[in-house]
Amino acid sequence: MPELADKIDRVLSMAPYCQPPDERQAGLLEILKEELDYACQRHAGYKNYVQQWPLDYRSADEIADLPFLPVGILKANPPLSFVGPDEIKKTLTSSATTSQIPSRVVLDMPTTRRMTKGTAIILRDFIGPARRPYLVVDTPSLMGGTNALGARGAAIQGLQPFANETTYCLGLNDQGDLTLDQDRLREFAKDRQDTELLVYGFTFILWNHLVKPLMAEGICLNLPKARILHSGGWKRLQDQAVEKSLFNEQLAEVCGCSPDRVVDFYGMVESVGVIYPDCPEGNKHAPGFGDVIVRDPLTLKPVAAGENGIVEVCSILPTSFPGNLLLTEDVATVIAYDGCPCGRRGISFRFAGRIPKAELRGCGNLQVNRSLVN
Amino acid sequence: MIISTTDLTQNVTSPAEITSAAVKLRQAVMDVEISPNDVLTVFDSWAKSLGSRELDDMPGIVFLRMWLRRGTLEPIIARELGSNGLHGGWTEYGRAKCKAFPVGVVGHWPAGNVEIQPLLSMTCALLGGNAALVRIPSGLVDLTRCLMGKLVQSDPGEILTRRIFMAAFEHTRQDLHEAMARAVDGAMIWGGEEAVLQIRALPFPHWAKLAVFGPRISVAAMDAGAWSNLQERESWCLRIARDVWQFDQQACSSPQVLFLEKGNGQLTAQFLPSLRRAFETENKAHPRRTIPAALTSAICQARASWLLKDTAHQAVFPSGPDWTLLLGAGSGLPQPIQGKTLTVLEVDNLSDPISKFDGNVQTLGLGMADQEKEREIALLAGRKGVDRIVKLGRMHVFFPPWDGVDLIRPMVRMVRHVCSTD
Repeated sequence: MPELADKIDRVLSMAPYCQPPDERQAGLLEILKEELDYACQRHAGYKNYVQQWPLDYRSADEIADLPFLPVGILKANPPLSFVGPDEIKKTLTSSATTSQIPSRVVLDMPTTRRMTKGTAIILRDFIGPARRPYLVVDTPSLMGGTNALGARGAAIQGLQPFANETTYCLGLNDQGDLTLDQDRLREFAKDRQDTELLVYGFTFILWNHLVKPLMAEGICLNLPKARILHSGGWKRLQDQAVEKSLFNEQLAEVCGCSPDRVVDFYGMVESVGVIYPDCPEGNKHAPGFGDVIVRDPLTLKPVAAGENGIVEVCSILPTSFPGNLLLTEDVATVIAYDGCPCGRRGISFRFAGRIPKAELRGCGNLQVNRSLVN
Repeated sequence: MIISTTDLTQNVTSPAEITSAAVKLRQAVMDVEISPNDVLTVFDSWAKSLGSRELDDMPGIVFLRMWLRRGTLEPIIARELGSNGLHGGWTEYGRAKCKAFPVGVVGHWPAGNVEIQPLLSMTCALLGGNAALVRIPSGLVDLTRCLMGKLVQSDPGEILTRRIFMAAFEHTRQDLHEAMARAVDGAMIWGGEEAVLQIRALPFPHWAKLAVFGPRISVAAMDAGAWSNLQERESWCLRIARDVWQFDQQACSSPQVLFLEKGNGQLTAQFLPSLRRAFETENKAHPRRTIPAALTSAICQARASWLLKDTAHQAVFPSGPDWTLLLGAGSGLPQPIQGKTLTVLEVDNLSDPISKFDGNVQTLGLGMADQEKEREIALLAGRKGVDRIVKLGRMHVFFPPWDGVDLIRPMVRMVRHVCSTD
């Protein structure tokens, strides 16, 4: 394991988007195989799964041939773990907007460290390394101080390496609903028109609790140097029919900056330490310590450039739970396998939403036992 | 609106179109009485027209051809409508005589997953002398239009075509569903739980007779003598694969689990390679052309959950989502996955799983060497709610009683006449 940890650290020390795809593939493949060896030693059920995969991972030539797990498996309770209870430092839970059952991932110390480092390396490439005042459009109560952290808390924490001071501008009212603390917001924005700033919030929270109240009162924060990051997806804004371009424009308007300073990033609790911000071309990229495979639902083989498929996220960072090769429930389009004009190497892709829920149809569609109904 | 007899499948957009069509259909039933024999004459001709090579790839076409034959339907008519039922005559029952009369206009709500179901459902009503108002699921419009075109050519006298209206509309058009329900005297409703509950709640007239064929699952089972017989094994496996493949394992008659009874000194795991070969063969012959991403996701989830849950579990599957065999032990019914995912469970005694059935199991496909045991199993299965017990490989053979009920008789009135002069 120490040797494996060293190999992961070596990859983490490299610039994240510079390696040619073939070179990166070969390096990651070797580490992922070692991680599979390690995981099989630590979890008998996982070993059973890997052993019965149609291809022997030890002879795989491509990452796409390695045994992936559907992300729904991480909804297991107790969570799937490769470490003993005494080694668990933190348990992350997903927001569970679709299924109501959250994923749970356990982090030991090395995985936690790599998670923080991975997120920081990616963000540094997009927003630069400087620390700056950090406005969190959320409530501090999320951070809790316990060993359990939700998706919002994890994202807020992931940006801390870029902060030299942190301000939370939302609170909770007596009913437990989020409310904007305008005094705190004004205080944060005061005399900061020339200061580089970081603003972060979940997409729907930024819209509902920052953009809408400020637009209603015609307030502009006058923060032209703010860099606004958001994540969490668009699902909860679907009923308000908020398009990405409108979101960017109105968010920029209330903050007083240019819309191109708004960056949407995709991240999932289950793929700790790897996030996918939009590049200036509007594409997403995999960092050097991970990869993305977009699979054809009919064959599960990688699709050609220009085609849609189910997203698999790959990462060498986690060693405390089976998060290395995860088939997500998201759909994406591959833009190209290399050569994005932004200069980042490797695959460029765009998310196209969640996998559409299967239409309930047919005389064989039975989900309920009669004995349970009666 | 005029009902076109050259294109019986109409894209309907307003309730008035349905109401108007129903009025004409009812008039057609009132105008002329037709006997099952008249219907069979047209069906026979229609079946022959479906024999052309360009239709061979259509899902369910072989079955439809078989179903429409006189040789298939005459015994069903005799059993359901009486010995003189074929020619529309009265059949004597002691001092009384009985004769079938149509209920009128029968509405059909077929499931979207069985391509030929709109036509099969329609034929049941026509055999009873009724008119048929059929809702065509949006995914089946082209296929239905093509097959109905052949019926139009086979029925120059418009004996049947003037009694048929196929209404194509989106399942979300509640106003059109309601118009259909208000216009009919009977209904044949097929499909999943959600669909059946929604349709049954429509405003049918109080006299409407409803025949509901709701969601069920099906199960395969073999005794040790059958699966351990090396001469028969490959043939049994091909039969199982065929049952799994038809309708992409989404039909109520599709096996979701295979119970193998222990015994004869052989391990059930030895059965798996033969089953694998049969699945590979069937997949090669009938590969999937498309799959919803959600089903692929569910298949991957099923494979992973199965193998992670218990280290004694085994699974065999290719790199794609084409098919999956999950092998373990236990007598409980697993959650159906569909998409050609068959759970194979070893049991000490076939009575163990069957005694746990709760009415959800429609068809029990059997491969048995021990006839006495098969009789016991059939009796137990019947008591536990199973409606069809058939040989493996014939689980989709559509022969009434279906779901425990007749197919023609529910949509007729059996009129009883006791002669006043007797």
